Formats: sequence, C-alpha cells, structure tokens
Amino acid sequence: MKKQALLLLFSALFFACKKDLAPMAPMSGCTDNTAVNYSANAITDDGSCIFFSTTPFIIEIPSGFPDMNITTNNPMTVEGVALGNKLFHDKILSGNGMQACASCHFQSAAFSDTNQFSTGIDGFIGDRNASTIINAGWNNSNFWDGRASSLEEQAFEPVVNPVEMNDTWLNVEMKLNADIEYPTLFKNAFNIDYIDSNHVVMAIAQFERTLISANSKFDKYLRGETQLTASELGGYAIFNSEKGDCFHCHGTQMFMDNLFHNNGLDPEPFTDLGLGKITNNASDNAKFKTPTLRNIEFSSPYMHDGRFSTLEEVVEHYNSGGEYSLTVDPLMKKLGVGLQLTNQEKQDLVAFLKTLTDSDFITEK
Amino acid sequence: MKRIFVIFTTISLVFTACEKEEEIIEGCTDTGSVNYNSNATNDNGSCKYNLSINFTHTIDGNPLEINQMIYTNTASQNYSIQTLRYLLSDITLHSANGTSTLLDEVHFITISDPSTFNLDIQDLNSANYIAISFTMGLDSLKNITNNYLNESFFPSFSWPDFMGGGYHYMQLEGDYTTAFQGYATHTGGTDGIDFSFTKNFPISLNIANANTTVTINMEINNWYSNPNIINLTTDGIMDNANKQALLQANGIADVFSVFYPIN
Repeated sequence: MKKQALLLLFSALFFACKKDLAPMAPMSGCTDNTAVNYSANAITDDGSCIFFSTTPFIIEIPSGFPDMNITTNNPMTVEGVALGNKLFHDKILSGNGMQACASCHFQSAAFSDTNQFSTGIDGFIGDRNASTIINAGWNNSNFWDGRASSLEEQAFEPVVNPVEMNDTWLNVEMKLNADIEYPTLFKNAFNIDYIDSNHVVMAIAQFERTLISANSKFDKYLRGETQLTASELGGYAIFNSEKGDCFHCHGTQMFMDNLFHNNGLDPEPFTDLGLGKITNNASDNAKFKTPTLRNIEFSSPYMHDGRFSTLEEVVEHYNSGGEYSLTVDPLMKKLGVGLQLTNQEKQDLVAFLKTLTDSDFITEK
Repeated sequence: MKRIFVIFTTISLVFTACEKEEEIIEGCTDTGSVNYNSNATNDNGSCKYNLSINFTHTIDGNPLEINQMIYTNTASQNYSIQTLRYLLSDITLHSANGTSTLLDEVHFITISDPSTFNLDIQDLNSANYIAISFTMGLDSLKNITNNYLNESFFPSFSWPDFMGGGYHYMQLEGDYTTAFQGYATHTGGTDGIDFSFTKNFPISLNIANANTTVTINMEINNWYSNPNIINLTTDGIMDNANKQALLQANGIADVFSVFYPIN
C-alpha cells in the first residue's frame, strides 16, 4: 500500500517534470504554416515540410463543344474526381445506408434509371423522371425545372430529399468523418481536416464533370471514321430540317439548347408547373429543361414525367403536334397538324437518334 | 552679412515662384471626360469618355408587350410576340477624321434577358462622332458553324449545316390569327447566301457628358411591311432564300432607327 503511494508520487513527479522540461528542449520540425505537417511547436525547420498538392484533372473539350462551366472555387483534380466517384457510388450518403447516387443514376442507363419515377430509401416514389448525367458540365442549370444553377448546388438536394436518400447533412458529415478512409481522401483532395457538406458536393460535381460523351457513331461519322446508313442519314436530314424541326432545341453536337420549353405534352391546367414554379412567372408554366439526346437509346423512359417508354412514342408525340396551352413553344407551331412524317421518315428519325449511342460512355470504367 | 542673406532668400523665393508658374502639368483638361484632371494645364489627348448603347423594340411606335395578341401587320393578320432574339455585329462609331472605333464584334439581344438591352462602352478616346454603323446578323466571314462556341447564343442560335451552317440572325416567334397557330420568323444565311446587312446612321454625337446614351430601335412591324408585304405562316423559312431576301429588303428599309442626345 505504501509502495503504491510512493509509485504514484514518483509518477506524478515524473510527468510534472516532463511537462516542464519539454518546451526547454529546442524542437525541430516543419515551421512553414502553409505546409500540411506544420508544427506550431517547432523552432528550427528540419526540412520535413510537406506541402498540399493535387494533380490537375485535364478535361478534353470535344470538338464542337464550348469551354466547360467549372465553378471557380472547385478546380478539377485527379484526387477530387476519384473521391467524387467513390462518393457517387457509396450508400453512406443515404439515411439507411441502402442507396447511393448511382442507385438511380447508373452508368448502363446513361446515369439515369429505367423507371418512370425512382423509389427512395423509404419506398416513396418521386414525381419526375431521374435525369441523365451526360455532358452535365455544360449545363447552365440542373434539374428538369433548372432550380440548381451548378452541379455543386444540385448535389445538395437528393441526399436530404425525403423521397430520395432521406439523410441529413449533419449525419452524413458525422459518418464520413468517422470513416476510416474518407478523412484521408478529403485531406488529399481539398486539404481539409474536417469533412463538410460543401466539400462532399464539390467532389461529386468534379466527378460528374468527367461524364463526357462524344464518341458515338454520329461523332465517328462527323470525324470521317464511319458511314451512316441510308436510313440514319435520312433521319439526320429530317432532324435538321424545319420539317422535323428537332434542331432548334436539340441542335449542335451538344444536342440541347440549355433552355426551357413547353413541348405540348398537356393541355391546361398543368399538374407540374416546371420552370414556372421556380420563377413564379405564369409564362414559364410547364416549361422544362431540354435534355441532351446523346445516349437517348439507354435513357428511357422519356419526358420529365417518364410518360413515353419508347423513342417511337416520342417521335409520334411530335408528329401529332401536341396539346395546345398558353405557354406551348412557338416552335411546336403545327399544333393539331403535326409534322406529318411518313412511317419511313419516323423510322429514319429513330435510327438517327440511335447513332447518338456512345457505348464507351455506357460501359467504360 | 545679414543683408546678403536677405537678398539671397528673396532671390530664392522669386526663383521658386517663377518655376511654379511655368510648370506644365500634362493631363486631360476636358471636364466632361471620365479622367478629367483639374490640375492639368496642358491637354495631352488622354481624355476618355463613356457611352451606353441601348437596344429598344417597338411595334407601331409603342414599346413591345410580349405574349399579347394585340398587333396587326400590313397583311391584316393579328399576331403576338413570344420570343425575340437577334444578333447585331460590328457595332462601330465613326469619327470626322475617318477613324472608326469597334464597340462590339457581336452583341446578342434577347427580350427574356433585359441585361442584353444595354452595352456599356468605357474609355473611348474621342468625344465626337459623325456616324454609327452595325450589321444585322453575321456577315459571311463570321457566320461559320462553331465560330462562337463560348457566346451566350450558343447552342440555341445555331443554324444547321444542312441549310448553310452558322447562326440565326434573328428568332422572332409568336402566334398569329389565333392562339393555336405559331409563326417563326427566323432569318439567317441560307444555303451559303449572306443575308446580313449593314446600316450606317449619320449622327452628330458629342459624348462629353456623363451618361450619354445612344438608342438603337427595332420597329418590329416593319419587318413585314415595307417594301414587301410578308404574310406570317406556319411554314418554315430557314431554307427559303426568296423569303430571306424579302425580309432582308424590309430590314434595310426602315426596321432600325437611331436616337441620340442633341447637345
């Protein structure tokens, strides 16, 4: 008993001494406060400083595409893209650990899913068709109603949407910070010690910007590497004539105009106001963002509400002329008359649309 | 000794005073410039001036109201306007000495974005101009597919290669006769024919005043009336060179006008 007390006393003294003595010894370490291993106690620099650095991720802009809109505070890095890829496919972002972004945006469906509406973790069903993620780095706005201007802003929503991943950002941050891998990955990508939601969406946006499709049969045709069939060429001509009049909204090699239109799906009253609900402007009611037609073969069903399951049905909608409403686009100008395409022309149009399939994009790792 | 000192001081003072009076300060002496230097004694030609160009749109002289079936063209058709987008290029001021100043190579105007109605020009070198000119659309040197990938009018303004390539000059759209019929007056270079045209307006403009604004107005109804009466139809006109030529002639005649403050 006495011995124990003595030991305790000794220990206490030892610790006290150690504490007192420590600052007196000259400490060496990294003295540069911009280094990742900066030591506030170090007096002499021992050359051990390691500085944060990332490897730039170079995006190759395909022919006929503009420069990409990359958020200035979120430059593309190899580390950020790899982290975003992991997050995009990780169920850790959902409330019950059962869903990842990729659950409703999977590669073989052009980063969409094959359902009319997607089912969230609690079995609730959404009310719009899951958007594809194809060349999204060139989107001026995101979601069918354009309510998110950047991909970063977009990624905030599904994680906390009750009918989607139904988590809270506070909970996601806790899970990621407690994970064995993520703290290091975020440190390497962004030089942060605490993972926050801002950096989660930044990484996901970086990954999404790499989902570029520009190697379809049509692209190869433009590059002179392959020929289109007579039917595909016929469809290409109709697409780009005022007879088919597809190009006004789906023109250029981007196959979208970055604008919103009411393409005559429904008469009034509208069940989904689309852009109008965001702008509170009745003249925007039932207008939706034009999707790219790239990989359209794999992104069925079609329209903001996934009402058409085949491309033939889509072509038939435009051929019939659509429904009249106050906000219907003037380019749907043959209401009630339609395009009056022959069966052959309709088949040609679908054949052309299928030349926009980029099998590398659908399968490449 | 004391006397000598006083004399010396006096001479010094006089000398310094003289030096000050003769000192020349170079700078801009025009009070109406943006870089007027009140200390300057000699104008060194460095004066800079600002100017705003304002783009307005009228129908029969009244400001355009969108989405209203309240207009009537010379062919007695009622019509509304839902969309108006167009490109003006080579907007240029001309000086009496023969020099010209390019204000903007290509300017895109859309009625859905009022910020496009204004073009602010800063640091012009001259206060006086005798003419302003601009081109409606893009001339054949500019009107080339993928020439303006990073402009806001890409991709929505592109014109398919099947019909000559390049870009629309104008997209004027709405309904006519009834709300069920749409028209789309789309102008552009068709099948390799350049239908752009340049307008030159003589003006007597002095911009040595803060907030000088020159207005370029498009009188929309005149696209359809003079000298060619043009009917609105549901038919496309992008591959119709005859119709493009009629619209070009009307555009040259009296669609555009320029207003400027008279000093």
